[in-house]
Parts: sequence; C-alpha cells; structure tokens
Amino acid sequence: MAQYQQTAVQDGLAFYVRSLKPSRGFVTVVISTLALIMVCAVFAPSAISAGGLAGSLPFAAIIAIVGLGQMLVVQQGGFDLSLAGGVSLAVVITTHMAGGSDAQLFSAIAFAFGCAVVAGVINGILVGFLRLNAIVATIGMNALLYGAVFAVSGGVPRITTPLMAQIAGGKTLGIPHSVLFAVAIMLLVSFLLKKTIIGRRFEAIGANPAAAHAAGLRVQLYQTMAYVLAQLHYCIAGILISGITREPTAFQGDSLLLPSVAVVVLAGTSLLGGRGFPISTVIAALFLNLLSQFALAVGVPFSAQTIIQALALVFGIGVYSLQWKQAATKRALKSKTEETDNV
Amino acid sequence: MFKAKTMTIACAAATLTMALSASTVLAETPSWCGPNQASLALLDGFGGNSWRLVTTASGAEEAAKCPSITQYEYADGQGDTQKAISDINSMAARGINAMVVFGDAGPAVLPALTNAHRAGTIVVPYRVNVGGTEGENYAKFIGSSFVEDGVSWGNWIKEVLPEGGNVLFLSGPAGNSQGIDELAGMKQVLDDKYVFINPEPFAVTNWDPSLTQQVLSAEIAKNDKIDVIVSDFGPSLVGALPVFAEFKRSIPALATSDGNSLSCFWEQNKDANPDFKLFTVATGNDNVRLAVQWAVALATGGTPPADNIFKAPVYENSVSGTPNPVTCRPDLPGSIYLSAEMADDAQAKAVGQ
Repeated sequence: MAQYQQTAVQDGLAFYVRSLKPSRGFVTVVISTLALIMVCAVFAPSAISAGGLAGSLPFAAIIAIVGLGQMLVVQQGGFDLSLAGGVSLAVVITTHMAGGSDAQLFSAIAFAFGCAVVAGVINGILVGFLRLNAIVATIGMNALLYGAVFAVSGGVPRITTPLMAQIAGGKTLGIPHSVLFAVAIMLLVSFLLKKTIIGRRFEAIGANPAAAHAAGLRVQLYQTMAYVLAQLHYCIAGILISGITREPTAFQGDSLLLPSVAVVVLAGTSLLGGRGFPISTVIAALFLNLLSQFALAVGVPFSAQTIIQALALVFGIGVYSLQWKQAATKRALKSKTEETDNV
Repeated sequence: MFKAKTMTIACAAATLTMALSASTVLAETPSWCGPNQASLALLDGFGGNSWRLVTTASGAEEAAKCPSITQYEYADGQGDTQKAISDINSMAARGINAMVVFGDAGPAVLPALTNAHRAGTIVVPYRVNVGGTEGENYAKFIGSSFVEDGVSWGNWIKEVLPEGGNVLFLSGPAGNSQGIDELAGMKQVLDDKYVFINPEPFAVTNWDPSLTQQVLSAEIAKNDKIDVIVSDFGPSLVGALPVFAEFKRSIPALATSDGNSLSCFWEQNKDANPDFKLFTVATGNDNVRLAVQWAVALATGGTPPADNIFKAPVYENSVSGTPNPVTCRPDLPGSIYLSAEMADDAQAKAVGQ
C-alpha cells in the first residue's frame, strides 16, 4: 500500500515537473546556440563582436519571421513552398510601386498586404477545403506569385525609399529595427498560440484534426487561417528586406525557403503537425545565422561553409527527432523479454 | 545687310544638314553589314535583370543599324537550361540565318548550338564559354576579357596604394570562371605586398545583394584593415558598404564595375568617408554589340570586325578623373549603366522606368 502511495506521489511530482519543464526543442536549441557562441568566442570572435552582430542580426530577424510563418503551416501538418514567391512579391511591390518616393510607400505596403491575404486565402482554400496536397498547391501558388513578381518588376531590382531604409534598416538604442520587429511578432504569435482560445484550438487541430473535428471545431477554417497568417509573415519579411538591402533583387525570397523549414524543425515542431514553438523558432534562426557567420569569420572555403551548415542541421535534427529514450526503453524491454523467454 | 546675314546662316545651316545626313547614311551601313538579306535572333539564357535588359536592348539597337537584317527575334531562356536549348532548336528550325547566344548554361547548350551550326545557321555564342571549337561547333565565339579587367584593377590599386595593402576580392557563385580570370589578371600586376584577405580564390557572394551584405559584414568584423575592395558587380555593394559605418570606419577604396546606383552612392558618401576612392571598368553591356556585328557580317557577307574579344574599357576614376570622373545621374534609374553605348534615356526605357 505504502508502495502504491509512493508511486502516486512520484507520478504527481513527475507531472508537476514536466509541466514546468521547457520543451526538448527549446533546450536543444538554446544549448546548441550557447555552445556555438562559445565556439565563436574562441575561434571567431569577430562573428559575435558588436559590429559583426549589427551586420548579421537583421538577416537572422528575417529568417525568424519567415520561420514563424512556416511554423504555423507546419503546425497544421502542411508545408508552404510559396514562401519564396510571397517574400519576393512583397519586396518588388514595396520597391517598385513606391518608386523611391516616401509618399507612396504606405499605399505600396498596404497593397503588398492585400496581395499576401489573397495568396494566403487561395492556398488555404486549396489545402483546407479542397484537400489538395499542401506541397502541390503551394508550388502552384509560388509560380503564380512569381508571375506577379515579373509583372510588377520585369525582374529588375529597384532602390528602396529612404523612409523604408530608415524603418527597416535603422536602429533604436543600438538594436536594429528588424530585430525589434521579429521580437514583437514572436511575442504576438506566442501570446495568440498559447494564451488565447483561438490559439489553443489552432494547436489542437494541428495535433489531431479528426479529433478536433469530432469535438466540433472548424478544422478547415483554421487550416486556411494558417496559410493566410503565413503569407502575412512572408509579406512583413519582404517589406523589411526591401529596407535592409538597399537594392534588393526580384528573387530575394529564393534563399529563404530552406532556412525557414530548417528553423521550424530545429525548434522541435513536428512535421506531422501539432504544437508550435515560436520562441525556439526565433532562437533557431539566430543559431542558423550565427553558424553561417561563424563559417565566414573562420574563413573556410565556400564548400566547407555549406558542409558545416548541413552537418549542424543533421546534428540538430538528430538530437531530438530520434526517440532516444523510447529506443532505449524498447531495447531494455526487448532484453527483458529475451531474459523471460530464456527462463 | 540683315537679309544677307540671314542668307549666310541659311546656307550654313543647309550645308550642315547635308553633311549630317550624309554622315547618318554612312553610319547606317557599317562595314560589317553586307548586302545579303538575313534574319537574326538574340537568345538569352536568363533575361530577368536590368543588366540583361540593357544588353538585350543594345543588341537590338546594333542589329537595327544594318538594313540587310529583315527579321529580328529574341528569346529568353528564363534561367532554365531546357528552355534555352529548346529556344535554340526552334530558332534553327524556323530557318533563322544567324543567332547570337548568351549561353548561361555553358557546355550544356553546346549540342544544340552544334546542331544549329551543322544545319547552316551562323551561330555566335558570346561572353560565357560554352566549350567546343570554332568552325566545328559554332561560327565564332566572342569572349570577354575578364583578365583585362583584373589587370586594370590591379594597376589602379598600385597607384592608390603604392606601399601595398590588404585586398578583399568579392565575386559571384563559387568557382565562376569570371572571378578566377579576374584574379589571374590582378595577380599579374600585384606582387606580395598586396595581401588577399578573402578565402581563395574569392569571397562567394552569388552576386546577390543580401548575401554580399552578410559576407562583407563578416569580413569587416574579421579584418581590422581592409585597404581596397575589389568586386566584379559594383551595384551589389551599394547595400553592403554602409556596414563600415557600423564599425566607425571609412569605406575603403573600391575597384569594381560601373552602375548608376553605385556612382550616386559614391557622390553621397565621399565626404563622410575620406578613404572612399572609386575606380570602375565598363560593365560590358556592349559585349553583345561585337557579337551581333560578327553574326551579321558572317550572315550578310559584310566585313567582320577586327576584334574577336571584348575588352571592357576603364570607365570611371575618382582619383584622376580620366577617362571619366564618377558620373551620377540622380534623375535616371539606379539600375542603368552609364558606361554602355546605349543612350541613357533609352536604357531607362529598356529597364521599364
């Protein structure tokens, strides 16, 4: 009896501790980032110097923002490959429609947001209501968005407006504005996901759409919402790029697709859908950016830079994608069974 | 008296007009334009940036100088090797007499070029080496002398830094032959006093402004002393150079290729950055003109030009002002190239602004 009581207490305690315990993704990504910072401090101090960070943090912020957008889609078990087109379209709309004039900047930004909502709604309807495969639907949308990119820009880069350069590229108290944007968006997404009814339902639907449907939740609507919100993130990222990079190309989104998926996975969000980890996603973006700065600062050849990044990703994913504990338990169980069989 | 003066002016004006129209007629039929009628196609591997738009418009302008060219076609491979190959095949099938090809995909387009050549089309690839040999796979290859660019940069670096110094060289995608040739050119004139601080052979930027910005900020953080930056795509540095201000350092000397946005950036920032000297070579839009001249000459029976390799001339030098001082045209788009032969306004139109 006493033994049972003790087990119950242990279980209760374990539950309490578990609820306080940060997610495995968070722990992994924070430890990896701290380790990387230490490695940088020893081998490439310039990568974490104030000037070095000032140059690279805006790009980390961009990856963080597109990563948060991608995370919302991945939470619903999808993939959004229209990210590249979405970001590029926002870039060319803010540079071309404004045409270097501050007066037209805000109407251009409003138009960019309008386009993002339209693209997101179409994606959402295709995937949420018509049940198309997310990869296929968003690849198609990406091609459409690139069509729009060419229609707006003809593929020609154009210089951003001075006001946009100030908004996205400026600094307040020594912190680049793009970083402030990323942090604000992260806080907003975290609050909405974790502390509001809509957010809790959103995560529940991602974890098990069938159960959520049985519980009376409007699964298709929430899935559509994920794509719309994701496009809004890409749009913000594109607008910021147009200010950070003085003369951005018309294809600026291309190089962001893979990092966006990478940070979502590194942060521990399951590709099958479910819980999202906004804070971990942002830290993962910092990690990824720091890693490329490290490779640049060490001065290794370009081939090695790519390999280092790939290895870090494999390591990062391997740490918690494999069910180490489960595998160990299984092994233990198996050996026990064998023992019993022998007897 | 008044009448006589008017008459004199009228006569002078008439003579001038006649002289001008005579020279216009002469200019209309250059020696490379022969008497035989022919059709010409310009095939681009990737046509979606301002440099290509200006280049394409330059090619059309050059072809228009020859009245023997009865038909002019253009196709854009859109960065897709398969499409570029099918463009070449379809132009050959349509019986186009001569084609000028920007073979972005390199040797991948060589079989299609060879087929067109064997079918009797005059094939002139230019700028990007597609492999193969002249006469067998195509009629003529019009290269661009990137080694020459490197030599021009090297000579200028020796002028502004006679005591030697640290050189940071940025080029495009890893292993691109343009960057390697330029480095070879610089090494011909720069001795050991000049230290290349980038990873061998150059810092990789993919000619992408945002990657350039990241690479440059990493290099600035790492190296306390950068005396000169060399880049083969000047305008991509415009977004990255303000990074020096983050480190409270002056922008160093810059040897690169020209672009209106870069020249305007220099105008705006030269006072705040005492070390910011600028030297540019022409970015080479006119390479296509030489290729068009060759293709037209071979197709129409004209006299081919003397050159078969395009040497980008030195364009701007902020120190000596020769051959040109740095020229900014704030009234025109940043994405045009004042070094190109094409008129500035026509370029602005070509890039759609």
